[in-house]
Amino acid sequence: MIRTVKLTKRFGDKVAVNSLDLEIGQGEFFCFLGPNGAGKTTTIKMLTGLLKPTSGTAELGGKDIQREPVSTKSIIGYIPDTPFLYDKLTGREFMRFVAGLYQLPKEALNGRSEELLELFEVRHVGDQLIENYSHGMRQKLSFAACFLHDPKIVIVDEPWVGLDPKNIRFVKEYLKQKTREGLTVFMSTHTLSLIEDVADRIGIIHRGNLMHTGTIKDILTLAKSPGSLEDVFLELTRGENE
Amino acid sequence: MTRATAILWAKFRIGKNQLASVRNESKLKVGVVSVSAVLLWIGAYFAFHGAFRYLKYFDTDYVGAMSLGELIMSRLLSVFALALFFMLLFSNTLIAFSTLYRARENAYLIQAPIPWWEYFIARFVECVGFSSWASAYLGSPLILAYGIVKGAPILFYLAAAMFYLPFVMLPAAIGAMIAMALVRVFPRLPRGSMIGVGIIAVVMLFLYLRGNLSMSELANLDFQDIPKALARAQSWLLPSHWAARGVLGAAEGQYADSVFFFLLLTSNALMAVAIAAGFAHWVFYPGWSDLLGNDMNRKAPPGRGWVGRIDVFVNWLWEPHRALVAKDIKLFWRDPAQWSQFVLFFGIMAVYIASLRDRPAAMESEFWRTWIVCLNIGACTLILATLTSRFVFPLISLEGRRFWVIGLAPLTYRQLIWQKFWLSVITTSMFTLTLVVLSCYMLEVEPIFFALSLYSIVITNFGLSGLSVGLGSLYPNFQEDNPARIVSGMGGTLNFLLSMAYIAIVIGAQTTMMVTKVLGLYANDDQFKFTLFLVVVGLGLFSAITTFVPMKMGLRNLEKSEY
Repeated sequence: MIRTVKLTKRFGDKVAVNSLDLEIGQGEFFCFLGPNGAGKTTTIKMLTGLLKPTSGTAELGGKDIQREPVSTKSIIGYIPDTPFLYDKLTGREFMRFVAGLYQLPKEALNGRSEELLELFEVRHVGDQLIENYSHGMRQKLSFAACFLHDPKIVIVDEPWVGLDPKNIRFVKEYLKQKTREGLTVFMSTHTLSLIEDVADRIGIIHRGNLMHTGTIKDILTLAKSPGSLEDVFLELTRGENE
Repeated sequence: MTRATAILWAKFRIGKNQLASVRNESKLKVGVVSVSAVLLWIGAYFAFHGAFRYLKYFDTDYVGAMSLGELIMSRLLSVFALALFFMLLFSNTLIAFSTLYRARENAYLIQAPIPWWEYFIARFVECVGFSSWASAYLGSPLILAYGIVKGAPILFYLAAAMFYLPFVMLPAAIGAMIAMALVRVFPRLPRGSMIGVGIIAVVMLFLYLRGNLSMSELANLDFQDIPKALARAQSWLLPSHWAARGVLGAAEGQYADSVFFFLLLTSNALMAVAIAAGFAHWVFYPGWSDLLGNDMNRKAPPGRGWVGRIDVFVNWLWEPHRALVAKDIKLFWRDPAQWSQFVLFFGIMAVYIASLRDRPAAMESEFWRTWIVCLNIGACTLILATLTSRFVFPLISLEGRRFWVIGLAPLTYRQLIWQKFWLSVITTSMFTLTLVVLSCYMLEVEPIFFALSLYSIVITNFGLSGLSVGLGSLYPNFQEDNPARIVSGMGGTLNFLLSMAYIAIVIGAQTTMMVTKVLGLYANDDQFKFTLFLVVVGLGLFSAITTFVPMKMGLRNLEKSEY
């Protein structure tokens, strides 16, 4: 579902992402790890079409996001770490706006929108202006909006910020459940303890280079001495400046 | 619903919700802003009406088939349309840049499945709406006054309304294309080349204006020659001329002409929008990506460039003021939307100084000299008021969501707002004092006028800075990051209107005193000196009140607010 070939982004002399080759299959839960400034956000921006790669290609659902941006974007959903939402819209108005952007039929909208608002526990505040939402409520609304068009691929950047433990568990289980139904998840996070029981595969990027990919078991075997995923991650990226 | 209409629908709902939230604003603020806006409009209407009525006196002189008065009136409308066209072009270039590239929602919209041309159309409509309301507000009393003095038929007003949309669409489309082209070109240039291009542009503008827009040249014309001088605004290639001709045609009952110019203007406007949308299809995304890439790669090593050395320049200040001043200057310089608008003020100053190239013949007459000096002080204080309303008022709001940093620091709100005040006084003084000294030098004014001009600009620097910092603290908008939008809110509008009222009082008092003197209405010189003393002391006190009262109210608001 996601395939990058020699995906590279340079900013002047600095190589932010260097010749990234990735292949993530349908229904896979892929977690992308790396220290701060390693190139995770730049990769996500290229996958979502916010940044143009210097060279290489990024294909999502078999389509090149640079060549066919509109049709590619219509099958992906994106949840940024700090969700942008129009403060002066209500939650329901925001859902209607998103439905318009994704060209969803009106009749399909109402039922699905209410269902998602209910699922992510923001239905009761659906008629309040978003400016009155807490950070967690905004994050839940952005999850609800992301799933409105039933994406085939979801790209998530550090989704746990602002969520309470109950909602963190719910989001984890929801995403995992969706991957069983065929959704592909590409998640960037620092919260290693939270991904151990959901990630099918992990990729570790540092200094713009993809160092390792594999299952958690594969990654754990890379350590010189046995330890947790956190210990192994720190060992593999030791010496990196923040 | 198309994607563009989805974005516009959301914008419409946002506008509606914002309007509804006016209920939560201070009733005093809403009342003062509404009443002032209505009074300003009525005032503008009567000023235009008076001017057109005055020109009607010359209806007995004829130039060809047209009376001189009518000829000047119609040509003044052409000049107004031309000036408006260029103002819209410039403001739309800036608005298009901030809307297409800098608005917070862009990252969300760009990752959504929207073709670039459709994204452009949605944001373009927003730009047109945002940039055109002010020109409609200022232009409507002019059109109404002209129509009433002229006794125009009802179709004239209908024509003016119909011409307005294509008239604002055309500069908006050209401005958007300029913004998109600049975004493609400028980030690729080294910083030195960018500054060089900017300086060359300002110098060329100055030289052009020196050659073409000399106040003395216009001031020395005979009345009969004025239509010829104003005819420079009438070229068949200028869209402003098409609009003026079409609207004036409707006033004269020449409806065939009017329809022709309407179709000419509308077809060109639609063509410009279509070209701009096509241009956006090819140019917008690479520009967006380059700009985002530039932002991600921006480095500002200490000690490199003048901004990098700003800490050294302000080292003489004591903490925490040094840290706050250095931060404010760095943030300002690193935001292109801020400094590009600041450059506009250099443009206005260049235009103004260029127009004073030679001392006009009217300066030989004491009566006109007095008026010209008073108007010069008025012009300088107006530039100052625009500076403080645009750049000083948002300073507290721009602390925004970072306000907790200041809130937690061992720093009082009193220190914070006085730091903003002094930063404003010092920076605006540098520009406005230069402007006053240069303009007085070029007008060769007498020492008393020179001293009065300097005094006025000094006290208004204090008064307007106090008003802007005070009201900026009293009505902060911590939700908005875009200073242009902070200024256009209720608090910003109130600040601008009160600044205008303050200037009107300061300039009105001086002008009344000086004109009374030149008309010989004082019994003797001592009476004039006493009045001069009263005006100087009175305006000083008035400015002190204008400084301290809003500052105190703003401080109280910050201290009682919860963050």
